[in-house]
Amino acid sequence: MIKKAILTLVLVLLGPPALATESLHFSAEVRDDPTRSLIIHGALDLPYVQPLLEDFHRRYPNIELHYRNFSTLELHQRFLDEDQERADVLISSAMPWQYRLANDGYAQALETPAASAWPSWARWRHELFGFTFEPIVIVYRRELEERFGAVNSHADLLNLLERRHEALRGRVVTYDPARSGAGYTYAIEEVRLSPRYWDLVAALGSANAALVDTTGEMLDGLAEGRYWLGYNLLGSYAKDFVDAHPQLKMVIPSDYALVTQRLAFIPREAPHPESARLFLDYLLSETGQGVISEKTSLGAVHPSLEGPGTAGELRTRLGDALRPIRLGPGLLATLDDLKREALLSRWQREFQRWSNIPGR
Amino acid sequence: MKPPGSLYRRLLAWLLLPLMALGTLMLVQAYLDARRTADRAFDRLLEAATLSIAEQVQWQNERLWLDLPPAALEMLATGAEERVFYAVYDGDGQFITGNARLPGDPRGDTDSGDTLHYRDIEWRGLSLRQGIRRTRLEDWSLRERFEVRVGHTREGRQALTLALLRGNLAYIAVMAGVAIIVLLLAIRSALAPLTRLRRAIRARDPRTLAPLELPLPRELAELRETLNELLARMRRVRANQERFIGDASHQLRTPLAGLSARAELALRQDDPQAWRDALQAMQATSTSTARLAVQLLSLTRLNNPEATPELRHLDLNVVARMAVRNAWSTCHRDGIDLGMEAPEAPVMVNGVDWQLEEALGNLIDNSRRYGATRITVRTLPDPPTLEVEDNGPGVPADKRLLVLRPFYRGRDGGEGSGLGLAIVDGIARTHGARLALNEGQDRQGLRVTLRFPGDCR
Repeated sequence: MIKKAILTLVLVLLGPPALATESLHFSAEVRDDPTRSLIIHGALDLPYVQPLLEDFHRRYPNIELHYRNFSTLELHQRFLDEDQERADVLISSAMPWQYRLANDGYAQALETPAASAWPSWARWRHELFGFTFEPIVIVYRRELEERFGAVNSHADLLNLLERRHEALRGRVVTYDPARSGAGYTYAIEEVRLSPRYWDLVAALGSANAALVDTTGEMLDGLAEGRYWLGYNLLGSYAKDFVDAHPQLKMVIPSDYALVTQRLAFIPREAPHPESARLFLDYLLSETGQGVISEKTSLGAVHPSLEGPGTAGELRTRLGDALRPIRLGPGLLATLDDLKREALLSRWQREFQRWSNIPGR
Repeated sequence: MKPPGSLYRRLLAWLLLPLMALGTLMLVQAYLDARRTADRAFDRLLEAATLSIAEQVQWQNERLWLDLPPAALEMLATGAEERVFYAVYDGDGQFITGNARLPGDPRGDTDSGDTLHYRDIEWRGLSLRQGIRRTRLEDWSLRERFEVRVGHTREGRQALTLALLRGNLAYIAVMAGVAIIVLLLAIRSALAPLTRLRRAIRARDPRTLAPLELPLPRELAELRETLNELLARMRRVRANQERFIGDASHQLRTPLAGLSARAELALRQDDPQAWRDALQAMQATSTSTARLAVQLLSLTRLNNPEATPELRHLDLNVVARMAVRNAWSTCHRDGIDLGMEAPEAPVMVNGVDWQLEEALGNLIDNSRRYGATRITVRTLPDPPTLEVEDNGPGVPADKRLLVLRPFYRGRDGGEGSGLGLAIVDGIARTHGARLALNEGQDRQGLRVTLRFPGDCR
C-alpha cells in the first residue's frame, strides 16, 4: 500500500507529466461566506499533504479546501498557462522553477510574524518559503554491507566503486540527469560543491550504473534485489520505504549531504489571498511544522522544534555535512539551457570516461 | 484691519521660511547624492557580473556558447535579495540565453570594443538597474561580437541610499537645530530693548510727564524721542489747563470777594436805602458771576474730547432767528439796531441747536458790550455759513488769534468774562466749522464767520 502510494507520488513529483491528477477536497462545515475557500496546487503527494490539510481544516473548518497534486513540470506549466484554474498556494520541490517564478514577480509577499521569524536560509524575500528539510541519501541492501563494508559517505562510495566496479556492474542505480529534473538539479549542485564529483560520475560509469527517472523506481529495484545500492534518493520518500523493508539501509552521507526543500508561495493573482495567507502562515507556524515532523517524513524547518523529523535534529547529528540547496539566484543558472547542455554533455563524457579505454 | 501680528513671530517666519526652504533643498541634494553613491557602489556588481559572464562566453558547436557561472548571478543579489535577470545576445541582436529578454543598449552601434553601459529601466512593472556589456570573443581567429545584459531590482540600492541618507540626515538635523536655536536667541536679544522700553513705560508714575531716559538702539531711540515729544506736548496741555483753572478760580474769586465786601459794607449801615442799593448791586454781581460759571461749565464741556454731542440735521435760519429773538429785547433797550439777513431757502447743516444759539448769543452779546450800534446776523448757503457783523471798534489783525484764548480781553475794563469767543471757538470745533474773524463792511467793525463743512442739504 505504502509502496504503491510512494510510487505514484514519486512519479507525479519528479517524473514526466502525471498519469492522473490526484486531489483532496474538504468542504466547509460552516458555510457563512462563499469566498472562504482555498485552492492549493502542489507537487507533494497525498499521504504527505493529507495530515497537514486535515489539521488545517480542523482549525479553520469554514474554509473550503481543494488540493490538487501535479508533477513539478505540469504544475509549472499550468501556472504559466493563462487558461487554467488559478491557485492560491503553489507548492513544489522543483526549487529552480519555483525560484524563477518568484524572481519574475509572480509571488506576493507574506508579512506575518511567522514569516518574518522564518530562518533566512529557508526563504527568499517574504515571498518564497522552504517549509521542509529533505536530505538526499544513499540506500543500499544489507548484504552489500556484509560483503563490502558500510558506505557512510561519498568518499566511501567512490572508494567502493573504484575497487569493486566489476562486482557491482549493473547493481548501482541513480538518477539520469538528462531525463530527471531532480537528478539534474542534484548534479549541478554537486558539481558546485566539489570537482571530485566528476570522479564519482566516472566511477558510476565504470560500474555501468543504471539510470532511472524517480526515487520510486530506485526503491523498487532495491527492494526486489535488482540493485544493491542507490545513490541520490530523496530521503523523505526513502525513509518510510526503508522502515518498511528491513533488507534496506538508508544512509545520509557524512561528508556532505544535499538537502532539498519544498518551496511554497502565494501567486500574485491568487483568487483567495486571505485564505492563502492563512494557510501559508499555518505551514510556517509551530503547529503546522509540528504536524510535518510528527506525521510525515518531510522534515520540519521551524527552529524551535527539536527531536526526530526536524532539521534541528539532523543538524545536531550531521553538523556541517548538510548542504541545503541555496535559495538564491544561483538556481537560475540551473535553468539556463546552455548550462544544461554543457553540464549534461560533460556528465555523459565523464560517465563514459573509462568505457572508451580498452583494457579496463 | 488685520490682526496685530507679533513682531517676534513675523521675524521668526521670515527667517525660518528661507531656512526651511534651504533645508529642504539640502535634503533633496543629500538624497540625490546618496542615491548616486549607492548606484556607483552597486554598479560595480553589475560590472563584475557582466565581466564574469562575458569571460565564460565561447565559440562552440559553430555558435556562441555560455557555461553560466552561478556565482555571477549570486553576486547580483545582495542581502536585500534583489530579483536578478540576465541575458546574452549576439552581435545581430539574437537571443542566445538568459532568464529574461532584457532590452538592449539604446546607443548606436559603436565599433569600440569593450563598453559597459548602466541605466535605469522600467521593465514588466519592475524598476531595474541594468548593466549592458558589449564585447567580442577573444579567440584566435573569431572576433564575434556579443552583448551581456544583466539587471537587478533596486532594493539593495535603496537600502544603501537610506543608510547614507540617514547619516546625512542626522548631520542636517543637527545643523538645522543649531540654526534654529541661534535664530531664536538672536531674535530674542534683538527684541530685548523693546521689552525694556515697555517695562520702563509701565514702571512710570502715571502722574509724571518727565521724558523717558534710557539707552536704546537707534530704531527704538526714534520711538523714544517721539514718545518724549508727545510727553512734552502733554506737559504743555497740562500747563494750559492749570493756567485755565487758575484763571477761572481767580475770575470767580473776584466777584465773590466783591459780593462779600459789599454785604459787609451794607451791614455796617442802618439805612434801608443803602441796603437796597447793596442788594441790587449784589444781585447784578451774582447774576454776572452765575453767567460766568455757566460759561466756564460750557467751555469745559466743549473742551472735553470724550463728550461729543449728537449732531442733528437743522436749519441755520431757524437757529439765527431764535438767537435774534432772544437778544432782541436787550439790544432794543440799549438802542442797538439788531437785524437779520437770510435766504428764502433753509440752510441745512448737522449741528447742535443750543450750542449754535449760544455761539450766536455770545457773538451778539460781545458786539453789544464793545459798543456796536448796528449788529447784523446773516446766514448764507453754499457753503452753509453763519455770520455776525457789527460796526463796533473791531479787533486788530494781530490780536484776532489771541482773543480766542480764554480770559483774554481785548480791552481792559469791559464787563465781559473773556470767555465768549473761546466758547464760540469750541463750538466751531465741535461742528467741524471754520471760525474766521474779519473786518466788517467799509473796513470797520468786526465780522465773525462760522463756515460749516460740506453740503448738507
